[in-house]
Amino acid sequence: MSFHDAKATLPAGANPLAATASSVAELSKPKVKAKARPAKAMIDRYHWYEVAALYAGIAVFLFFVLSPFIEGFLVSLKPLAQLFSTPYSFIPKTWSFDAYVNMWTSVPALGMHIFNSFFISSVVTLIVVAIVVPAAYSFARFNFGGQALLLGMFLAVNMFSGAVLLIPLFRLMRSLGLLNTYFAMIVPGAAFLIPSSIWLLRTYMMRIPRELDEAAWVDGASRLYTLRRVILPLAMPGIVVVAIMTFIGAYAQQFIFALTFNSKTEFMPLPVGLFAFFGKQEVIWNELMAASFVGILPVMIVIIFLQRYLVAGLTAGAVKQ
Amino acid sequence: MSQLSLKRLEKSFNEARIIKGIDLEVADGEFVVFVGPSGCGKSTLLRMIAGLEDVTAGDIEIAGKVVNDLPPVQRGIAMVFQSYALYPHMSVYENIAFPLRVEKLPQAEVDKRVGAAAKVLQLESRLQHRPGQLSGGQRQRVAIGRAIVRQPKIFLFDEPLSNLDAALRSEMRIELMELHKRLGSTMIYVTHDQIEAMTMADKIVVLNAGEISQVGSPLELYHKPDNLFVAGFIGSPKMNFINGKVRSADGAKVTIDLGSLGTLVLPRTSTAVAGQDVTVGIRPEHMQLGNGEFTLAITPNIVEHLGIHTIAYSTLPGGEAFIGLFEGNPTIEDGKALDMGFDIADVHLFDAKGLAVY
Repeated sequence: MSFHDAKATLPAGANPLAATASSVAELSKPKVKAKARPAKAMIDRYHWYEVAALYAGIAVFLFFVLSPFIEGFLVSLKPLAQLFSTPYSFIPKTWSFDAYVNMWTSVPALGMHIFNSFFISSVVTLIVVAIVVPAAYSFARFNFGGQALLLGMFLAVNMFSGAVLLIPLFRLMRSLGLLNTYFAMIVPGAAFLIPSSIWLLRTYMMRIPRELDEAAWVDGASRLYTLRRVILPLAMPGIVVVAIMTFIGAYAQQFIFALTFNSKTEFMPLPVGLFAFFGKQEVIWNELMAASFVGILPVMIVIIFLQRYLVAGLTAGAVKQ
Repeated sequence: MSQLSLKRLEKSFNEARIIKGIDLEVADGEFVVFVGPSGCGKSTLLRMIAGLEDVTAGDIEIAGKVVNDLPPVQRGIAMVFQSYALYPHMSVYENIAFPLRVEKLPQAEVDKRVGAAAKVLQLESRLQHRPGQLSGGQRQRVAIGRAIVRQPKIFLFDEPLSNLDAALRSEMRIELMELHKRLGSTMIYVTHDQIEAMTMADKIVVLNAGEISQVGSPLELYHKPDNLFVAGFIGSPKMNFINGKVRSADGAKVTIDLGSLGTLVLPRTSTAVAGQDVTVGIRPEHMQLGNGEFTLAITPNIVEHLGIHTIAYSTLPGGEAFIGLFEGNPTIEDGKALDMGFDIADVHLFDAKGLAVY
């Protein structure tokens, strides 16, 4: 019987509050407590000092990782003279965003460099995704001769850093007449990023139940139709991870390819283009830092955009595990 | 003419022979259940019929045509998988419509067929949901819906109920039987659960180690098992087996020495069993309290009271487990000796090779 029923049965004129006051107090006590502390599983409950320690740990870790960025950002705000003052002060005494304005005039091609970086990485990402998706599907689902050998070779390729192969690649590019083109900076970059992505996406696709392929096959779908309508949508989080990793990887590795295979200013990506801030006498550090930060911006935008597709648990309800 | 026939069908994976020459005829509209312990090859056999596994030797014929090398869709079959295999990113509607989309049917026709399937399966209110939002029984119905819309000649079910809980399973069992009645199509159903086999099948195919042990109607298998394997597999609790030795067989009756349990005389015309080690089988539900035509003195070590039944477990002097199942709630206590008997007509006899002796 509920509390309200009990009240209704009391004779008229009687004070229901007096009769039930103690029980109300008893009832409401645990309720208030439950409200104060949201319902959490025992395993997720921490004391305040444990929470504090967790956040302190995170703060230390974050500071360790981010301190170069913090210092870089502070440098970009300081006037150049202050950078060489002794004692050195980390906190700018006077600060301004002048460097962010002036950098465009001291290096006129800066916008082109940023575009080149973004363009090269985007094309590399498109190429890699277009090649990796069908490759990963075939490695995940088909049995063919030399499969293990091929996968092993992909892994072996990954163990070479691009730098080791620079000289042979340079000779190749020169004899093909491809030096000083976008092609020279895009294709080797894509080639180095494909093997690891195949491994990653193959593992992801192997976790998609094989019964889905079989069900589609029984229903008359071809392998390509199954890939397009069933596997691709389900592998989307994995593909997005590959795309993000490839984009970042392409952004990071383009320096070495651009430095070796390209000498034309108009094709230079940002990491090489930043050398323009190195003058004959002095380095314009504050503008260099400002340009670096502006150069990172497109990458961050792309990642934030792609992250929305990283939906976990997309396969829920496909099969009963 | 039979709808489906298997002719000396064989399947090997590398060296391992999984299916060892199976001959089977399935008539139009029949509900056939493949049953057997795990690893007996029943799922492989179904997948071969479906076209998901290659045939090593022999033929599969559907409607008089050899289909060994045809893809599933050209065989006119549809399959429901144990794990449902629903497409989680599509709505229930699109899941059911998937085979029709593959066929590129016009939208009006798709609407009509999906609507009809949803009506049969009571999924009309669920069409816009995702599989993840459905209960196990509903997911199973979606999987069946996807099979229905193609209007196949033969439905294949691979343990479709084994992922459901007990209550839902018996509910879905009845739904499937009603569906079979309504559609009238041939259904082949794989299960390891002999209760599903007994309740649903027109014809049960008992498989053991890649071979057919026996084919027959549920009651045939229950009353006249061909061999020890079928006798032990069909029926729950399991049939009791007592080892004995034939003392004499004169063409009219067989006298069997059961050791310390006594001597059992059965009316059998076979004389070949004379002197053989044989197995005597008696179902737990054929035991009665007190004296029967043959009586055993038993001391149960565990007694289960189920209300409708009481089950007594014990061990015979020869070491064989022995189970008695009695109606209602008789007073049986563990550790207390009692007499139970059975009728001679209920006894099964198997020779040294495990084959039934009549």
